[in-house]
Formats: sequence, C-alpha cells, structure tokens
Amino acid sequence: MSSYRARFVSLAAAALAVGVVACTSSSSGSAGNTGKSPILIGASLSLTGDFSADGQAFQRGYELWASDVNSHGGLLGRPVKLVILNDGSSPTTVVSDYQKLISVDHVNLTFGPFSSLLTAPAANTTARYRYALIMGAGTTDDVFHLASNRQVHNVFSPSLPVKDYLVPFANWIVSLPPSERPKTAAYPMANDPFAAPPVQVVQQILQRAGIRTVYSKVFPAEVSAYKGPADQVAASGADLVVLGSPDIPTVSAFMQAFQQVHYNPKVFAAASGPDGGQEFLNAVGVGNATGMMVPNGWYGSYANPLSHIMVQEYIAKYGGTASDINTDVAEAYSVGEVAADAVKAVGTNNAKIIKYLHSGVTLNTVQGPARFTSLGENPRPASFIFQWQNGHYLQVLPAGAPGSVKILFPKPNWIGQ
Amino acid sequence: MTGPGAAWRGGGILALLAALALFPLVFTNPLVTTIGVDTMIFVVAASAWNIFSGYSGYISLGHAVFFGTGAYTVGIAARDWNLTGTTVFWLLPLAAAVAAVIAVPFGLLALRVRRHTFVVVTIAIFFIFQLMAYNLPFTGGTTGVSAPFLAWQPGTSNDPFYYLAMAIAVATVGLSWLIRGSRFGLQLRAIRDDEGRTRGLGVHTMRVKLAAFVISAFITGLIGGLWFYFITQVLPPSGFDPAFNVSVALMAFFGGLGTVAGPVLGALILEPAAQYLTLEFPNAFLSQIILGALFAAVVVLLPRGVIPTVGEKVTSWRARRSDHLAARVAAAAARPSAERSSS
Amino acid sequence: MGRLIYEAIIDGILIGGVYALMAVGLTLIFGVLDIINIAQGILVILGAYLSYVLSVHLHIDLFVGLLITVPAMFVIGITIYWAFIRPLRGHERTGMALLASYAVAIVIEGILYWIFTPNYVQLRAPYVTASVRVFGFYLPYIYLYGFALALALVGLIYLMLYRTKFGRSVRATMQDQVAARLIGIDVNRVAGLTFGIGVAVTAVGGMMYGATSGGFNPNSGYDLISRLLAIVILGGLGSIAGALVASVFMLTLESVVNVWSPEWAIVVFYAALALVLIFRPAGLLGRQAVREQ
Repeated sequence: MSSYRARFVSLAAAALAVGVVACTSSSSGSAGNTGKSPILIGASLSLTGDFSADGQAFQRGYELWASDVNSHGGLLGRPVKLVILNDGSSPTTVVSDYQKLISVDHVNLTFGPFSSLLTAPAANTTARYRYALIMGAGTTDDVFHLASNRQVHNVFSPSLPVKDYLVPFANWIVSLPPSERPKTAAYPMANDPFAAPPVQVVQQILQRAGIRTVYSKVFPAEVSAYKGPADQVAASGADLVVLGSPDIPTVSAFMQAFQQVHYNPKVFAAASGPDGGQEFLNAVGVGNATGMMVPNGWYGSYANPLSHIMVQEYIAKYGGTASDINTDVAEAYSVGEVAADAVKAVGTNNAKIIKYLHSGVTLNTVQGPARFTSLGENPRPASFIFQWQNGHYLQVLPAGAPGSVKILFPKPNWIGQ
Repeated sequence: MTGPGAAWRGGGILALLAALALFPLVFTNPLVTTIGVDTMIFVVAASAWNIFSGYSGYISLGHAVFFGTGAYTVGIAARDWNLTGTTVFWLLPLAAAVAAVIAVPFGLLALRVRRHTFVVVTIAIFFIFQLMAYNLPFTGGTTGVSAPFLAWQPGTSNDPFYYLAMAIAVATVGLSWLIRGSRFGLQLRAIRDDEGRTRGLGVHTMRVKLAAFVISAFITGLIGGLWFYFITQVLPPSGFDPAFNVSVALMAFFGGLGTVAGPVLGALILEPAAQYLTLEFPNAFLSQIILGALFAAVVVLLPRGVIPTVGEKVTSWRARRSDHLAARVAAAAARPSAERSSS
Repeated sequence: MGRLIYEAIIDGILIGGVYALMAVGLTLIFGVLDIINIAQGILVILGAYLSYVLSVHLHIDLFVGLLITVPAMFVIGITIYWAFIRPLRGHERTGMALLASYAVAIVIEGILYWIFTPNYVQLRAPYVTASVRVFGFYLPYIYLYGFALALALVGLIYLMLYRTKFGRSVRATMQDQVAARLIGIDVNRVAGLTFGIGVAVTAVGGMMYGATSGGFNPNSGYDLISRLLAIVILGGLGSIAGALVASVFMLTLESVVNVWSPEWAIVVFYAALALVLIFRPAGLLGRQAVREQ
C-alpha cells in the first residue's frame, strides 16, 4: 500500500466523519414542553419491500388519525405531528429508525411498525429508552412474550390477537345442525405467523366437534408453487377448506387451481387475502369471490360510531368507498386513539402512559373496546367474519351481532364452470 | 519499504485508527453510533469476503450463509443454555467455529467447479440455508430467534458493540495484510491469475482455496454472531439476506478487489451512505432507483474499484510530473552544450 | 396416493414449461456472454407487467399481446447491454457484470414500484382457469399453451442457432470468444443481439408467469431468480435444451416431494442441484467443464 493510498484512506475517514456530522446536525427536533409546540409521534413503517402494501395502508391510517386530532384542536391544546421513517421491511433499519426518532428527532411517543418480524427489534429498542410502543399489527404471541416486554411492559396492541381471528367462524360451523355440517375439512397453511395460528386454532375446535381432517400441511409462504398443495386439497375432496393464507396471491392461486380441477368446497375460508377489498376482486374476479369468507377485526361498515366518523373522513381524504378501506387503516387509527386517550389522561410522559394503559382502563377505538393484559394484549376488539356476496363485502358472523347478514352457505360454484 | 513512505503510511493508519476509536466518544448520539456499529460489522464482513473472493478470484455470493449461521448459533445457544447479559458474548467464538465447520463441505462441493458455476452454487447453498432456517424445528421458523434483553443504558449501549466490532475489524484487516504478504497469499493470487498453471507448478489448489474459504467463513460467522446480539433478533430473511451477499461484494469491488484497504474503504463509505439514504428519503421507491443508478454508475465507471483507479491516476500523475521534470532537466542539460558548442 | 403422485408429475411437467420459458433467456446469455444476468428475475416481472398493461388497459389478448411485448423487451435488452454490460472490461468482467445486472434489477424494481405500487395484480383470461379433462386429470389450457410455446421457442432458437449465419456466429462465440474474433466475427454485435434475444424470450416467460402465479408485484422477482439460476446451472450453462430438461425435471421433482412435505420441497430443489454438480460439474447437458478459467 503506497503512502498515497494511506493518506487517501485517512482522508476518506475524515470526510466520512464530516459528512456524518453534517447529516446529524441538520436534523431538527424540537420538543418543547410549553405552549403550542407540537407533540411529535414517531413510527417506522415498511414503505418499500415485502410489507410495503400494508405499510403504506398503515401510513394512511396514522396520518388520518393525526389530521383528525388536529382538526379537533390537537391533544392538550398542542398539534400532533407525525414523523414517519421507512424501514424498507428490514429489521436492521427498524433499529436505526427508532434510535433516530427518539434520540435525534426527540419524539414524545412511538407508534409501531407494520409486522411482527419488525416489531420485535422496535420493541427491544424502545424498551431500552422506556418508551411505550403502541402498535396496530404484529399481534403474534412471540412479540408479547419478548424478554424486553416481560421486563419493561412497554408493548401495547389494541388489535385482535392473530390466533383468535377465526374463532367466530369455527363456532359457527360447530353450531350447524349435524345434517348440514361439513363432514371433512382441509387445512392448508402457509408458514407465516399470521396465517397459520388462526387455522390451527380452528382445526383444534373442529376436530373436537367431530369434523374429520383430511388434509393438514404447512407450505412455504414465500414461494409461488401453490399448485401442488392446492391440487392435493382438491384431491382430498374436503367439504370445508380453511386456508392459512398471508396475502392475496396465495388465496388467488388456490382459487385458480381449484377452478382448474373443478373443485368447489361447500365452505371456503381464508385467514387473509379476501379482506383486501378491490385488490382482491381484481385478482380473482367478482363472480369467483362470492362465498369466500375471511376474518377481520374491523371493516368499513362496522357498526360503531367512532368507526363511522373515521370512515367518512377517510373517504373525504382519499376517496373510494367504505368497503375499499384496508383493515390496516383502522388498526393504525386505533393506535392513535389509544395514544390520544392516554395522553389526555396523564400527559406525554411515557412511564405514566405505560402505567395508565396497564391500569385496567377500557378505552374506545374504531376497532371496539381496548383493555390491555399485563403483556399488552387486547382480547376485546371487534372480531368478525366477512363474506363476499356478489361484489359486496358483508359481515356475517357473529350471527346475532348488529350488522350481520345471512351467510351464503353452501358456497356457490366458480363462475365459468 | 523504509523511509518517508513507510512513515506516511504508518502515520496514516494510526490517524485512522485514532479517529475510529474516538468516534463514539465524540458522536454520542445513539443513532450515529448504531450506524457506526453497522459500518464496523461490514468492514469485517467485506474484508473477510475479500480474503477469499478477492484474493482467489472466486466470487462468492453466498457468504450470508456464514453470517446467518453465526447469528443463529449465538441465538440458539443463548436460548437453549439460558444465557443472558455479557455471558452471551462468549458464544462468539462458537459462532465462528460453527461457520468454519460448515465451510468445509460447502467448499469441497463448490470449489470443484468453474467460476461461473461457483457463483451460482454459492447462491444455491445460500438459499438452502435460508430455507432450512424457515423449516428446521430448532430455528424458530418465520419468527426466528430473539436475543436476551440487554438492559444497558440506552445512551451508551451501542459503544461496547462498536469497540468489539472495531477490535475484530482491526484483527481482520491485519490478518488480511499478513495473508497478502505471505506465501499463502501468493498462492491464492496465482490461482486467481491462472489456476491451471498454478496447479501445474505443484500447488495444491484445492487445499489453498479451501483454507481461504474456511478462514473467511470463520470471521464472517464471528461478526454474524455479534450482529445478532446487536439487532436482538435473527429471522431467516435477515440472517440470510441476499442484500448482504451483494453488499459485501460491492464494498470490496468499490474499494478495490484484492487489496487490503479496498473492502475497508468500501464499507466505510457505502454503509453509512446507504443508511443515510434510507433514513432521509422515506419516499423509498425514489431512493431505491437512485441507489441502483448510483450503483450502476460506480460499476461501469470505476470498474477496478476506487483504490486501484485512484491509485492508478495518482501514479500516472506522478509519472507525468516526473516525465515533465525529466524533460526539463534534459532540456536544461541540452542547452548549455548547445551554448557551449555555439560559443 | 398413487393418483396424487401422477397428478404431481403432470403438474410438475406443466409448470416446468413455464419455468423453461423464463430460464431460456438466462442460459442463452450465459452461454454467449459468459455473464450471470441477475436481472432476469425482475425482467420476467417486467414482461408480466407489460402484458398486464396491454391486457387490462387495451384489452389485448395475452398471447396476441406478445407480438408487442417481445419486440419491446428485445429493445430493452439491447439497451441494457449497451449501457451497462458492454463498457465493462478487464479481468473482473464476470463479477462486474454480475453487480451491474444487480444494479439494473434494483432500478427496474424501483421504477415498477413507482408506476404500479406494491399491490398484487394478476393476468386473467378465460383459458387461465378453464381446463380440459384427459384420463381423469384436469389439464389447464394456459399450461398446455405455455408448454407448446416453450417447445416452439426452443425449436425456433435451435433453428436460429444451427440454420442461420447469425446462429453460427453465436455458436462460435459461445465456444471461444477470442477465436471467433480472430475469424472476423463482430463479437460485440453478436453479444448485444443475443442479450436482446434472451430478454425478448423472457417477455413470453413473464406473461406465462403472470398468468399462473396467482398474483405478482415488483417484489416477486427475488424468489424467481434463485430458482432460475439453479435450473440453468443444472441444465448446463448455455444449453437451451438443458434449460428445458432441467426446468421440467426440477419442477416435477419438487412437485412430487410436495405431496409428502411442501416445506421441504424447495430444499430438494437446491439439494438436487448440489447433488448433480458433484457428479457432473458441467450440469446435465452442459459442455464438458473446464475446471479453471
């Protein structure tokens, strides 16, 4: 290595140091405690990468909440300002994002990122600063049971825990008279912490009720070779299919494969995908969507006054109709509501907020009531099953609940057969 | 290699080391030190990659195998042996050893084929490992493995990681330098230049390549373990990340493939730059396009990497200067004789 | 169980046809230019999006639309070659080309995200879900058309390689670039045109992928490229027939293992590659390998 190269390397290091100083000193972060200085709320979202579709929906939810709050005078007389950073669906970036939000941007509160896979590093980072992390998604068991959460108790999620999603569906099946009840069931599940747990819970409930399992396998979530499992499910001839799908392509591929082999189960429920609104219809066609059932904690026409208001405001801001609104939006919005209630009660001190949220208080959100366990779970929010009927996304379960309509059962055959 | 050149070189290196050592004490902002730790990790990873791929010419795009293996080893061991706090750091040598052990059959399989095939084999093995991380019962599936909670003060919790990574970096670069100057290094570079002839001269090329591969794997596994504890979790797509594979290669290329300082420079420049771009441009699609375009420009315009290209330019500038000087001396020498002859 | 296996084999063969269409371009580029085009995955997605735009906005049938997308991708391919591959020279050309094509892939992905957003889309047509019943098994029309197309394309490429003057130049360049240059072949022109052809064929693969995948978005390219690379190496670098054989073989193997365990099926995919390479380092139909460069 010549002397010139050595000097070059030193120069580069110096330039790097200068550059970093320039970058960090250029960011502003005022968090005054007096007067009308804004309340800063930071979040890291997946605006690109694997989770980008949901990350952007979440962004809309947070932003809608913030603009709503501000149009009503803000919190404690102060306007709310969101600082949203992109994590590119990468856990490493999530850590730096929250470091930046807390130590550079000096945010008062932190909201969660989109997925469990990213929530864990976020929770660990915010735990170190003793900041509460309120999140709308990422409601899988492993997040609540993180070592940091068990010690610091800073994680809160107002959304329905994932494994409970399909319970109303299972209860309905069991409630059918024996002559109508499906005799056999197939449970294909993607290897995904959102898709598999609810299906596994359904399988347990239905097996106990005497419904025979003719297929139950886990397939990789990240691959496009769905035809194999789909064909096997079809070959099993099951009356009932509960598909553990994490996204629209999975459901769409299964539906497509079923059509190709002329297989139509009497009941077809999916963990996720049919809740994707217009995107789902575009993928499978309005006619074929009819009969498909999917769980959700919230949807556009949910009979809840807070939800109605939010829906109207969403439409005013982004257009479309109530049924176009992705559930992620409501999940994000309810995060804001929890934060707002906590701030109004005890101010912006995180330790007090954590204590308040663990005090057994029940808060109201667009997703229904929120009351947190010691690990931050909320078992109380709205939990429904929806079904597509001729282009309409309708609430069908729980059967007696306000807003529920009659289920279309059995599922009509595919269009084009 | 004595005299003023060596003094400059030594001074330069010392200055750099001092700057790096003082870095977290001067810039105490945890965001900055997080980027610092990430950068140090990549200095190690890129240098380790270069020790094998740079010197031997066999481009590996599967080094994340070792990185992820190291990460998972620490995670699984900490989880199953119930270790917490600073004891977990003692698992790092284990992580390195496991990665090195894996490198043996991996290398024996992959190093028998042509260079192009080699690249693809490394990619294939990489994906096998990622898939195993998803599917094996003890790796935690999609949710991976979480680290024990390290209840250090948030303001300075990054610093021990930084210094540990830096120590590993210094050792790695030192090792890289030693190898380069040794007979082993010469054999590697001979393999890069003309493997057939090298074998013909009696060198056991497979053993040489495999040795470099294992050394490279050892270091990568070591730093992977550290990374895991720093990020506090490992998942199949993060421990076995395709972007990691390309990043270490890019850093080494950018700085100068096969040089000692190249990967260091590449990591010192590219990692903070990438982090900065992601932080400052939430409109991520635009930043992705910019990043890719920059990347492409670098590859096309600086094909030999920064250090060799800059080094060449500097050398040619010096040569031209000395040519200039020589020409003026010659002209000056010629004139008196002309004057003499005319007088 | 037997029926499941037969069905799996049929599925595998049919899907193998789709992958062959995606892999042919890659192996062609490998063979002639000696470089790994990592952008192949995203180029498939690009082809799928082009077909999507034609189908949804202009209501052009998927297969008819190929008459537009194939030439379009040809032009894109040549442009990529001239801008990013041709300028690379020197000892590390292979590695640099790899990184350059990765950069191109990132840029294309970013542009696709920008234009189309991360929402999943799918190519739809009546023959995607309709199927014909043969011996008790359902064979979806789209796969049959796709398989026929794959055979036709492979045949066309062979015709080109063995019956045309250009094809002879391509084969010569494949065998020995230096010698080809010495006998007067404009290697750069051959390389550029071949790159263009490779990307053009990918347009067809993209359409097929878009129709059979159940939905794709700009992120779908990553999963593809790794499988395509495995297929191409298994089949033998530069061997078109090898790409077809390897696609069918790998996908059928995966499909059969899928019956027993879907999670391990993909591992088998890569493990098969490793196994074949132990015994035949040049791949199934590759030319005899030269171990050193």
